[in-house]
This record gives sequence, structure tokens and C-alpha cells, in this order.
Amino acid sequence: MSQIIRHCLPLIAAMALLAPVRARAQTAPAANACLTCHATQADTRLATPARLFSGTDVHRERGFACADCHGGDPAAGDKARAHDAAKGFKGAPKGQAQIATCARCHSDADLMRRFAPKQRVDQAAEYATSVHGKQLAAGHGDVATCASCHGPHGIRLVRDAKSPVFPTNVAATCATCHADPRHMAGYTLPGGAPLPTSQLADYTKSVHYAALTKGNDLSAPTCNDCHGNHGATPPGVGAVANVCGTCHAVFATKFQTSVHAQIFDKACVECHGNHAVLKPSDAMLGAAGHAVCATCHSGADDKGAMAADAMHGQFTQLEAGIKRSGALIGRVKNAGIEVSDQELALREAATKLTLARTEMHAFDPARVAPIIAEGTKIVASVDAAGQSGAAELRFRRSGLAISLGAILLFVVALGLKLRQIERRSHH
Amino acid sequence: MVKGVVDWVDARLDLSDIKHFVAEKGVPIHTQEVWYYLGGMTMFLFGVQVFTGILLLLYYRPSSAEAYESVQFIVTQVKFGWLIRNVHSWSANLLIALAFAHFFSVFFLKSYRTPRELTWLTGILLLFLMLGFGFSGYLLPWNELSFFATKVGTGSAGAVPVVGHFMLRLLRSGDDVTGATLSRFYGLHVAILPAITTALVAAHLLFVQRQGMSVPLSIERAQKAGTRGPLQQMKFFPNYILRDVLAWYVVLAVVAALAAFYPWELGAKADPFAVVPPGIRPEWYFLAVFYTLKLIPSHVMGLEGEQLGVVAFGIVAIVLVLVPFLDRRASRGERSPVFTVLAALGLVYLVVFTIIGHYAR
Repeated sequence: MSQIIRHCLPLIAAMALLAPVRARAQTAPAANACLTCHATQADTRLATPARLFSGTDVHRERGFACADCHGGDPAAGDKARAHDAAKGFKGAPKGQAQIATCARCHSDADLMRRFAPKQRVDQAAEYATSVHGKQLAAGHGDVATCASCHGPHGIRLVRDAKSPVFPTNVAATCATCHADPRHMAGYTLPGGAPLPTSQLADYTKSVHYAALTKGNDLSAPTCNDCHGNHGATPPGVGAVANVCGTCHAVFATKFQTSVHAQIFDKACVECHGNHAVLKPSDAMLGAAGHAVCATCHSGADDKGAMAADAMHGQFTQLEAGIKRSGALIGRVKNAGIEVSDQELALREAATKLTLARTEMHAFDPARVAPIIAEGTKIVASVDAAGQSGAAELRFRRSGLAISLGAILLFVVALGLKLRQIERRSHH
Repeated sequence: MVKGVVDWVDARLDLSDIKHFVAEKGVPIHTQEVWYYLGGMTMFLFGVQVFTGILLLLYYRPSSAEAYESVQFIVTQVKFGWLIRNVHSWSANLLIALAFAHFFSVFFLKSYRTPRELTWLTGILLLFLMLGFGFSGYLLPWNELSFFATKVGTGSAGAVPVVGHFMLRLLRSGDDVTGATLSRFYGLHVAILPAITTALVAAHLLFVQRQGMSVPLSIERAQKAGTRGPLQQMKFFPNYILRDVLAWYVVLAVVAALAAFYPWELGAKADPFAVVPPGIRPEWYFLAVFYTLKLIPSHVMGLEGEQLGVVAFGIVAIVLVLVPFLDRRASRGERSPVFTVLAALGLVYLVVFTIIGHYAR
């Protein structure tokens, strides 16, 4: 018996700890005059919070009521007593007061463990380090606080697709302020230039946006994946490669070994841009036309230009070879020649091209050349097999033509013989 | 030379009966005689199947681990293996098409009427056997399409009332399509079915030779009514035989051209654990039945839809076997428009449902 009690003690203790929360979660909405009164208000500013809170709201669903954030007396029958400052009424908390209100629970590890044990409790601390937090501390009251992104009422879990901070909605949520020139007026970049408001327009052109919205890849980056969410800040000089490298690890590693790592202030962004990251192509490489290298490298004796041109030429050559061989074995395959080994080899050649394009981020032609040579060798062997397949095909078709001719001759001869026999029998 | 050999055999076995039969045998000449050649063409393709099938046997390995690879080896490494495999596949399809054409021509001409009931009976059984050849042979390359199509096909056998589960297990050699099914289908395809078919073809030919060619009912009626005189006869040997050979050569040319210009795809190797790929459908000659079974609602008047469909097709098959005994008017030499209409409806149904089944998703 004593053993049973000893084993059950931790469980009993945990239940005792959770009891008040659970009791409140189940009984709290019983006496909430706030909702009753606010729901009937003609002024939408007063009625909307009641309507939103009565719908899907993560806090209401866990037993929290209006007074938990706004204070006051939810049991009171009239406004004066309900909004009595002596009963803790503080109205709609704004600025630092809002951060403090949310942090009261969300920074309390003990409390949060009861509702969402895996959730972090450092949002307020992170927020203080963000540009938003710093501007707020500096007295700018119009910067984003918790409710600006999560909403004040009708708050949904981040994983809820209707939440304004669900991955596919983040960009639009940030853009409510950052794409609004009036809102952003007065804010500047570190150099003093006005803060641009084109980020959303740029981002919607990017491969990241396409992957997220068209490819349904929720791991594709949106604003908070590069800037951070609660600690939102533009990645500083020297940090960009690390930020991009969280996903593009191999490219970042190659780049770190390159000479450009010491020259580029904005690392990856120098060539690929920041918000409007377009699908990369071989046309970006080289010293001619719209190639990005041409921005800095030009002239016949520029080593960088020569290296870029050399690598561009190798990529173009291998890609053309893969295409040509692919078309050849495609034709042969359609005609019934088995080419699965060659198809596999061509995939290997395409992998070599991808590897070479990756290696290019070290900006050293000597490291790219051996990979391209391997790819070219594969393409040559596929080409040879394709040519022999085409020869086999010609052999089959000419063989068929000859045998069809022989059959036709036989049919004609047979027909003539028949006619002869029939004529003879008529006579 | 040929005469010398014949004389040598004649001196020992006395071929005078056969010689007399060949010399005297005639084939009636009329406007519908073109249909006579379909049976011979079908038999020629059966010969092509036996020949190419034996060649394929030299390399084919009937196990789930090796079947696909062995067919791949045949079409890529074996000299002219591609030709033999393509001819076997194309000839199989043409054979079934010609067998159906032969079946419908005999049906419309009422050639099944007395005294040729047994010829019809062996013929219809041969048609079913050809479908059996097609069904069992389709699985042998052990590719993705054939594997899943066999799963669906043998699954339909499971819907037969009372003995369905037994039949399903008998066909699959277990509850699922596995390597054991492949071995079973192989045995069926290269031994059991050929043995039965050879016996039936021999009987079918014997009946045709003994009774001679059937004259279409309409011509026979006209002769009886006196509006038409006796038909001219063509000598069976060499006139008819040579025409037959001519038709075979045309079929051979078609098969060779198809095999060289439209090679039969091998597809991907079957993976029993893979998700069923979209667009799984049986060979074209089973499409009408397959699509009909798909159209029947899951429950009809308290009965399971698929079961109802399978029973209905079973009844149709039995009725087809019994046609000569059911169409008494034709046997009495009278017109039997009901059976003509039924055959026409059957033909339209097969063509329409095969086309819809091909394009349906």
C-alpha cells in the first residue's frame, strides 16, 4: 500500500498543481458580463472584440476571459463597476503595456508548461532586441507589438492556416505596415536612407514565394525565416551568408572558401538580391550581357571576368550535351531500343552539372573543371550508345523494308499463279 | 521431288482416301466467301504464337525476381529477340481481333446451325481459350501495368458467387498476386492452354473438313425457294489453299510492320508494395467487360454489384455456347432475325464500351 502511495505521489502532486487552471478553464466563462454588454454595442470598435473573442480564440478555448488581460470585474452588472480601476481595469493595453500583459503568461515557464509545454517563453526578451522593440523603447508608439501580428482577439494557433502568422500569411501580415509608405514615413535604414516599402512586391517575385504558395512548401522562407519573428531585425553585414546558409548549407560552405567571402559586404545578396531572389541561371555567370559578374568584372585581362567566362562556357557546353544526348536517346527509345542505362547515365551527368554549379560558388575554375570533365565523359558515352541505337534502328527498318518487299513479291507471284490455275480450270 | 515423296509414302500407307478427298473437295463461291478466310488467318497467327512463344521460352524465366529482367534481356541482348517479342505481342492482339471477327462473321451468317453445332462449340471454346492466353500472357513480363491489371482481373473472379474465393485463390495461388501467381500463369500459358487448344483446333479443323464450308442461310434459303441455282465451287486444293496462304502472308506483313514500327513497351518492373499507378486497365479485349463492371453500382437490389455483373457475363458466356441449340429457326433453315439483332447489339456494345473504357479515367 505504502509503495502504491509512494509511486502515485508525484502524480497526485501534479494533479494538485494543475487543478486551479483546469477548474478555471472549465468554469470561467460562466459569469462574463463583458461579452454580454460589448456584444450589444452599436460602436463596432466596442462590439468587434466581443464577437472575435466569442469565435475561435485560443485563449477563450483554454478558459481565459476578458478580465485576464483587461482587468475589471466581469461579474459586475454596470459599466462603472465593471470598468473600476480599483478592480484592476486597464482598458486596451498598448505599447509596452501590451508586451507586459502578454508576457505575464507567455514569459512564465511554469504557467506555459500547463498549456503548451513545448512553446518558448522568451518572446518578450527577444522582442526587446528587435527593431520593433528598440523603436518602441525609443518612444515610437506605432511599431508592431504582439497584437499587431497575432491580432488582439480571435487569436489562433500559429499552425492554424487562418492565423495571420501562418507561413503563407506572414508576408501579408508584415506588409500591412511595411508596404504602407505613410506608416513607414520617418523610419530610415542604418545609412539614413528612407526605409523602402517594396519588400512584399519584391518577395512575391521570388523563388521562395513561389515555393511557399505554388509549391505548397511550408518550409520555404517567408519574412520571419530570415529576419526572425519576435526578434525581427535585418540580418547584418557578415550574417547574411549564415542566414541563407541555414537552408543552402553547401552553397554557404563553398562561398566561405571563396575570395568573394572577404570582399562582399552582403554575401549572397550581392548576386542574388534579398527579397526578390529569382531562380538562378547560368546567364548570371560571365562577364558579358546581363551577367551579375559583369557588375564588377570587365575587360579582357580581368582574371575574374576570364574565370567567370570559362565556367559559364563549361556549364553551357555540358548542358547542351545533356540536352542533345537526351533527345537522341529519346528518339531511339521511342523506336523501341532499350536505353534505361543511358537514361540513368544522363541523370548522373545532370547531377554533375548541378555539382559543378554548386562548386562554382567557390569561384575557382580549377575546382569546377574536373566535375565538368566527368559530366562530359558520361555524355560522350551516352552519345555513342545513342548513335549505335540509331544505327540498330536503321538496320531494323531496312530489314523490315526488305522482308516486306519479299512478302509482297511472294503475294504477287501467288496471285499470278492463282489466276493462271483458275484460267486453266475454266478452259 | 514432292511427287516422289508422296508416292513413297503412298506405297507404304495407301493415301488414296486422302488424295481422293483433296482432289474432290470444293469450296462454294458466293458474295460472302471472304469471311471464310478469317478462321485460317486466326489459325495462322496461332501458329506464329506457338513458334515465337517457343523461342521466347528459351530465355524467359518465370519468377518474380527474374521475369522482368529476362524479358529485358530478350529485347536488348538476344539477337532479334526484340523482333520475336514484338511479333509475339502484336500477333497475340491481332489473333484475338481476328478471332472476334471470325466469331461475329459465323454468328451473322448463322453458320452454327445444324449440322455444325460441334464446330461452333469448339470454336467458342477456342475464343475463350484465346482470351485465357491473353490474360495469362499479359502478366508474364511482370511489369507494373500487368501486375496491377492482373490483380484487378483476378479480383473480379473473386466476385463469382459461392466458388469466387476458391477461384481467386486458384488463379492467384494464394490470396494475393505474387511470384506464385506468375508461376501458375506461366504453366497455364505454355502448357495447359496450348494442350487444350491444340486438341480443340484439331477437332475444329476436322469438323470443318468433314462438313465442308457452310453456305450462308440467305443463299441456302434462296436456293430452296428456287430463286437461285447451285453455287459454283472452287477447288480446295490448290485454289482455296493458295488464297488462304495469300491472306496469311498479308497478316504476316502487317504483324512485321507493327512489330518494327510500334514496338511493345516493357514498362517498369512490378513492385507489389508500390501504390497502384493511375490508369490501370486491362488489355483492350477485356475493356468492355472491365468498364461495364465499373459502371454497375456497388449494390443493386440488395445484391453486390460486381457479383451481379460477373454472374451476368457468366450467363452470356453460357448462352453463347448454346446458341446453335437455342436458335432453332436457323437450324430449320428459316430466317432468325432475333439472333441477328442480338449479335448486332453485342457487336455495338463491345465496340462502344471498349472505346469508352479506353478513354474513361
